[in-house]
Amino acid sequence: MDFNFGLIWKFAVPLAQGLGTSILLSLICMALGSLLGLALALARSSPSRLLRLPAVAFVELFRGTPVLIQLFWVFFCLPLVLGFEPASFTSGVVALSLFTGAVTSETFRAALRSIGSEQRDASVALGLSRWTRMRYVILPQMALRATPVLLSNSITLFKETALVAAVGISDLMSVGENISNSIGRPVEILTTVAVVYFVIAFPFTRIVTLLEKRLLRKLAL
Amino acid sequence: MSNSFKSARPDPLLRIDAVYKSYAKGAPVLRGIDLEMAAGERVVVIGPSGGGKSTLLRVVMGLEQIDDGAITFAGASYVTVTGRRTRIDARVRRSIGMVFQNYTLFLHLNVVGNLILAPCKVNGESRKTATARALTLLDRFGLAEKADAYPSQLSGGQKQRVAIVRALMLDPALMLFDEVTSALDPELVAEVEQVILQLAGQNLPMIIVTHDMWFARRIASRVLFCAEGRIIEDGPPEQVLGSPRTERARDFVHRVFHIGG
Ligand SMILES: Nc1ncnc2c1ncn2[C@@H]1O[C@H](COP(=O)(O)OP(=O)(O)OP(=O)(O)O)[C@@H](O)[C@H]1O
Ligand SMILES: [Mg+2]
Repeated sequence: MDFNFGLIWKFAVPLAQGLGTSILLSLICMALGSLLGLALALARSSPSRLLRLPAVAFVELFRGTPVLIQLFWVFFCLPLVLGFEPASFTSGVVALSLFTGAVTSETFRAALRSIGSEQRDASVALGLSRWTRMRYVILPQMALRATPVLLSNSITLFKETALVAAVGISDLMSVGENISNSIGRPVEILTTVAVVYFVIAFPFTRIVTLLEKRLLRKLAL
Repeated sequence: MSNSFKSARPDPLLRIDAVYKSYAKGAPVLRGIDLEMAAGERVVVIGPSGGGKSTLLRVVMGLEQIDDGAITFAGASYVTVTGRRTRIDARVRRSIGMVFQNYTLFLHLNVVGNLILAPCKVNGESRKTATARALTLLDRFGLAEKADAYPSQLSGGQKQRVAIVRALMLDPALMLFDEVTSALDPELVAEVEQVILQLAGQNLPMIIVTHDMWFARRIASRVLFCAEGRIIEDGPPEQVLGSPRTERARDFVHRVFHIGG
């Protein structure tokens, strides 16, 4: 067995393009998913059942099914429901954003619940309106507490984007798989792909730890 | 005749009328509280744990729904009950400030940020003037060098002093203190009590819940003994602390004095 890792440089450009797609997909889905997650978390903590129940149903549905089936559903079933076929990148964004929304809603909800009732008491005693309290007391504290977990959520998402290879989006995984199949060099190519995922994801996990230590300890949140 | 006499008197600062309160599930916690408090008074509330002292202050602050009754501040009714709903007038409530037993500073804001949030967002004061006022007040209470500190960088005593100053930023006409020193290490109690005494010296009306009998004696112009959701004794400190009329109060005062040393 002789491995020639030097050959991967021939495929540097397509691999880099694939990585670009993976990162772009992660960033877009993280942004959209976090907004959705925040909305879901607020809906779930609302006193109104009309808001709470659909939010709970959505979250449980998406957390309780494999991401791959969600992806397939959006790709193959949703077009039949809609009557038209969105671009595959769009479908990927939709599917992964919905999934990320379900995941981050738990993050936001935990952050929200960790804010003690004394913060509300103090706000009311100071005459802050409901909106002012939300905007200047609850949301900032929730965001601070959620940040480290959101970063780990985004690492998870970045790795999960590899699933879109299954529906033909040219992300890093899919590009790697194609090259590997066409030149019959799985060891070199797939190992390289794995290393690239790791090199991107690992610093993030360090940042998460750092943030948790520094920021949250400083604020004693 | 008694009617005309009543209307000739000035409105009391605070008037609590037959207030009943129970929490979601459970027995009533306040069982008919009546109280009239004049502007010059400093009312200390003592009583056994679970007697409803904190609940009473929270109700006066407008933090809780009540089952029945009404509360009036300077002639303006601000806690009322219609049907099963408690209505609270936020405008009237603004004249009342409260400091709690646990730490309630906003953890994501530094000291000045804590002080100016309500003046800026509620009263529409400019950041600049609010900050200037905050620094002046901090200086007056010996906290000037903590202006930029975050709550986590303060001692318990400093946190409570900042919480008091935060309430003072809104110029309250009545202050409520709910056991503000009982979470503190003993050596930090005095600095917080000193601040409250300073405010008492400026004739700021206040209602204080405390287990510190030394402090109660020093600061009170009137003492209430509360137990089982009722005011059982109400009188000048010498009387309620010195020679209580009821056996309950006598037992309690003796026990607390004994433990307190
Ligand atoms: N949020 C709440 N929900 C349910 N029950 C409560 C709540 N707060 C207080 N209670 C109950 O109401 C009763 C009175 O409580 P409260 O805190 O007013 O007493 P307290 O006189 O302040 O006691 P302490 O001296 O221990 O502070 C207690 O039996 C308590 O368990
Ligand atoms: Mg209490």
